[in-house]
This record gives sequence, C-alpha cells and structure tokens, in this order.
Amino acid sequence: MLRIADVSFRYPKAKAAALAGVSLAIPAGGVYGLLGPHGAGKTTLLSLLAGLTMPHGGSIELDGQPLAAARAADPRAIALVPQDYAFYPMLTVAENLDFFAGVLGLAGNARRQASERAVAFARLEQVVGKRAEQLSGGLRRRLNLAIGLLGAPRLLLLDEPTVGVDPQSRSFLLESIAGLPAAGTTVLYTSHYMEEVEAICQRVAILDHGRVLADGTLDELLATTDSAAEIELDRLPPAELIERHALVARENFKFSQNFRSTVAIAPLLQDLDAAGCQVRQLHLGRQNLEQLFLRLTRRSLRD
Amino acid sequence: MVRLTALWKKELLALLRDLHGLAALFLMPVIFILVMTMALHDAFMPGAAIDVGYAIVDLDGSPHAQSLAKRLDKAGSFRRVAAPADVDAARTGLRASQYALVLVLPKGFGERLLTPAGADGQPTAPLTLLVDPTLNPALQLAFRNQTSAALGTLRADELSQRAGKLFGLASSGKPLEREWGDEIVSEAVQNDRNVRPPSSVQQNVPAWLVFAMFFVVIPISGILIGERQQGTLQRLAAIGLPFRHVLAGKLLPFFVVNQLQALLMVAVGLWGVPLFGGEALVMPGGIGLFHWWLVAAAVSLAAVACALLVASLAQTTQQATIVGGVGNILMAAIGGIMVPKFMMPGAMQTLAEWSPMAWGLNGFHTVMLRHSGFAAILPDLLKLLAFAVAALAVAIWLNRRPTA
Repeated sequence: MLRIADVSFRYPKAKAAALAGVSLAIPAGGVYGLLGPHGAGKTTLLSLLAGLTMPHGGSIELDGQPLAAARAADPRAIALVPQDYAFYPMLTVAENLDFFAGVLGLAGNARRQASERAVAFARLEQVVGKRAEQLSGGLRRRLNLAIGLLGAPRLLLLDEPTVGVDPQSRSFLLESIAGLPAAGTTVLYTSHYMEEVEAICQRVAILDHGRVLADGTLDELLATTDSAAEIELDRLPPAELIERHALVARENFKFSQNFRSTVAIAPLLQDLDAAGCQVRQLHLGRQNLEQLFLRLTRRSLRD
Repeated sequence: MVRLTALWKKELLALLRDLHGLAALFLMPVIFILVMTMALHDAFMPGAAIDVGYAIVDLDGSPHAQSLAKRLDKAGSFRRVAAPADVDAARTGLRASQYALVLVLPKGFGERLLTPAGADGQPTAPLTLLVDPTLNPALQLAFRNQTSAALGTLRADELSQRAGKLFGLASSGKPLEREWGDEIVSEAVQNDRNVRPPSSVQQNVPAWLVFAMFFVVIPISGILIGERQQGTLQRLAAIGLPFRHVLAGKLLPFFVVNQLQALLMVAVGLWGVPLFGGEALVMPGGIGLFHWWLVAAAVSLAAVACALLVASLAQTTQQATIVGGVGNILMAAIGGIMVPKFMMPGAMQTLAEWSPMAWGLNGFHTVMLRHSGFAAILPDLLKLLAFAVAALAVAIWLNRRPTA
C-alpha cells in the first residue's frame, strides 16, 4: 500500500540528516508501529507522508501512485492525527467535527453522517454539546482521533495518540485503533509505549538517527534476536565475576549476558550463589521490544 | 465554497466566544469616541468660550478704563469674574484659584491713553497682567493679544475722536460706548458649498473608527497563533487546505466585524454623543455615503491584512498583543488619530503620511468634511489597498510551506 524508498530529508542548517535513506513497505490493512526515541525521525517521516514537507531524496508511493498524485486524486486518502490537541478549544465537540468535515469538503448529509460516525466511533455522544476546552485529557484524545477519521482515510497517521491519558481511555483508544484495519483504514502508529505497540501492531519499524534499524513482523523481529539472559541481583557481584561471565551492566543491579546455549547459564548462577548474590529475576528466551531496541541502539527508547 | 463557509463559521463562533476581543473591538472605541468628543469639544470650535476666568482691578476708574473692560467683556472668549478690591486681594484670589488672570489698570490709564510707554518723556505706568502659573501659556498669550487688540481699538477711537474735534470732522459721537461685534468670521472652505467647520464629533468618529478597525489584530492573532501552537494549522495543511484559504477564511468574517464596528461608531456619533451634550455626527448623503463606505472597506482590508501579518510574524499571543497593540497606538499617534494632524509640527505631519491610519482618516475627512468625490479619495483608497496586498503577500510568504 505505502512504499517508502530511500527517502532522505535534512532541515535547513541542521548538521545531520533527519532521515537518511529510509525504506519501508507498509502493507494495507494493519497497524504498523513506528518506534524511535526523540529525534529519531518519526515526526519528520509523518510530515512527509502528510504532505507537510517534501523529501529531498527518494520516493513515496501510495497504492502504486506517487504520493502527490495520490493526494491530489483523493485528498482524504491520508489523515494525520497530530500529537497536539489539534482542534478549537472554544468550539464544542459537534462544532469541531462539523468544521473539520467542512474543511474536508463534505457537505449536507455526507457531512452530518461523517460527524455522527466519528462521534459513535470515539463514543463522544455524551459530550457533543460541550466545549472542547472543558473535556478531560482522555476525551480530548478521543476527539483528536475522531477528527482524523471524518474523511474515512485509507491511511491514518497517528503521532503518539495516547500521551497523557488515563489507563481506561488508553485501553479504549487502543481497542478502537486496533479495530480500524477491519474498517479499511491502515494505521501508521508512533508511540513511546512499547507495550502498546506490541499489543496492537502487526508490523514494526525501529528508527534511530534517521535510519531504519529493523523492520518486520513482531514475531520476526523478536525471534531474530540473539539468545540473551537478563538478570537482576540484590547486590553488585565481584568485578572478577562480571568480567569472567561477560556480564553487561544495565541499570542498578541489572545485567545482561549473551549465550549460545541455555546450559551456559548454569555456571553463572552457581558463581553468583557462591559470591553471595541472590537472583531476584531471570529472563530468558524471546525478548520484548524494549530489549530489542536497547540492543539495537544501545540506549533506552525513553532517552 | 464548502471549505470557506466552514472557515467563516468557525471564525465567527471563535470571535463570539472571545469576550476580551469583542470588548477591544466594540466597547473600547465607543468609550474613546464619547470621552474624546466631549474632551475636545471646544478644541474644534473656533471662537468657542474658554472656561478661564479673569478679573480686572481698575485703579484708574476713568471712562477709558471702563471702556476697555467693556471691550474685553464683549470679546467674550474669557469669562470675567467679579473684580477684587485691590492688587493684594487679586493676588490672594489667584493663589486660591478663584480666577487665572488679573488685568491691573494703573492709575492715570485714561489720562495717559495716547502717550503709551512715556512717549512724551513722562513715565507711564504699564498695564499689569497677573497670571496663575499653571495656566496654559497659549491661553496667557491669547489673553494678552485680546487685551492688546482692545487697547489698540480704544486708542484708535480716542485718537479719531480727538482728531475729529480738532479738524471739525464727523465722528461716532460716543466711541467709548460703541458696540463691538465679531469682525472675523471663521468659514471652512469646502468643495461645493460653505458649511461650518468640523465639530469634535466629525473628527473623532472616523478617527476612532479607524483605530478600532485596526484592533482586529488582537482576536485575529489570538486565533491564528492558537491554531499554529495547537497543531491545527498543521492538521489543516495535512488535509490539503492551502494557507491562502486559511487567510481568506479570516478575511471575510473580520471584514464583516469591521463593518459592524462602522455601524456602531456612526450610531454612537448620531445618537450617543448628543445624549452627552455634544453635537450629532453629520453623515454625507447620496453618493457621498457610498464613498464613505468605500473608505471604510479599504481601511478594513488594510486592518485585517495588517493583523494577519502581525499574527504571522509573532510566535506567541503575548508577542502579538504587544506588537499589535503598541504598533496600533504608534500608528494612531503618528497618523493623527490621537492628536489631530493639523495640531502637529510640520515634520510630524510629513511622518503622518506614512501611517495607514492617516490614509484612512484622510479618506473619511475628504468625504465627510470636504464633500469631495471619488477622484479625491482614490489616492487614499489605493494606498490602503496596496498596503493590504503587500501585508497579505508577506503573511503568505512567512507561512509558506511545500506540499507533497
């Protein structure tokens, strides 16, 4: 559906490129996760896809058409839901939806129906007459998302759509977003919350310093990691033990160790016991996204 | 068109819910018009009475001294109050602010009337003017001039009577009792007919209307900067809405707002000012009214474009409020809104030609005071429209962004 080929972009006066040879293939009918720390290039990539800026190199195609041509042919094909509450706080929920539907070029019944669908999708029925500035953080996020769906887009770009919401609203939003592909909308989802991405994304790309470090299905990405053990102790082990077992310090009393076979873990446990270190937690086998990210970038996603 | 109507509706709803913006647009200029029209009521009325009291201490008591007092009375510009008994009492009265000026006519004033300043070698006591030091120097000078004029006519009459007697010529008989009417009548020269000079309300309504129109900068910048900061402009751009549509979406609603301001200000001039004792505004009739609206429309376009430019330049609403507010006040000060242009020195009047507010005010004055036709307002209209186009172009350029 969306093919990004060798795309690059550099902001004026910036020393490094925001995007350097990014290539991704995002298939239709799924939720695609885009992971990366601040400055990785996620928002720049979304800006290019939303038509806010032009790439300096490479190409972007939507359903086989160059992006500009695809947008010209169907201006509602792509919708962006920015991280900010991009609506009018002094207008009511209904007035906001009506305004954005109007700007999308919808009129008459189509406009009314689009607003009704958006209200129903985001479950905003109880607050349609309320001014947006009076809504809670969770309801504002729902309105932000509802506006993005007014034009029934083929591709929905979500930039951190759950920032600052309560757990209940987060759960509702994730459930709603996960259901969008069934209604014909492909979702490109950026987030800092890896558990969210793991929960709703079928495919994921990891971006850092403007480059794609990994992309594929979740299973592929997590399965291709080397075997690693993550171990949490109650105290620091002797330096000689750390060196002998090639332990990599993570944070506090947490360490990791790469091994070829699970048998190799036994001597480590014996030596730790002999040194008087108690094991609080031991994690083996398939890693989660956070661990994968850490391994690929050598830094935390939240840095 | 669907997009534009959605934008217009949104702007009107946003403005209606902005009480501060509405107050700045409608309440503030109404108050300005009422206050400034009443405060400057006399400043625009040639020959109007000046509410400054003066007294005469007549140490001479001659018919000539009484005649001089009568002539000053007849001039009527200053208010004469009861005479103090002597110079000391006059000084006490001045210190107590009972009056601001005291003219002391010395003993022998009548006798020495035709030999001023000791023209015959004998000393002549001068007339003394005691003044309140807080009195406007211009008013002090005006009273001195008035006294000099009255003294001059008194001497001339006395001289002509004595000469008449000497040479057996006919004279007016009782020159000291002569009635003095206004010898100079002010008349404003206008295009096709002569009417009275403009009143305070004729000056103030268009002046503060122009000022109020330019205050759309406050609500416009508030909305536009909010849209930018909240990411709404980004969302609209992602929808594919060109920025020129965003600007067009603001142009019409605020043009309508400006026209409502014009209606309100005219209504205040017609019916509000008379309630407070001022003169009613006189609006041009027929084609003149259309010309008046053309000026109002041109001022509105310039004001909205200027507001969009300020909103595009400023990063925060605070910046826009400062730049827009202070900028408007400066334009008003330079442009003859706060201080009428004719009261400014030459250099300032030249500077005033660079203020768009001055173009608008001049256009209104051309229609309302000079009753001139379209050709006379055209230069001001063109200047305002050129300013509007330039400001809009720069605003679009500042907000330029490539689209995919």
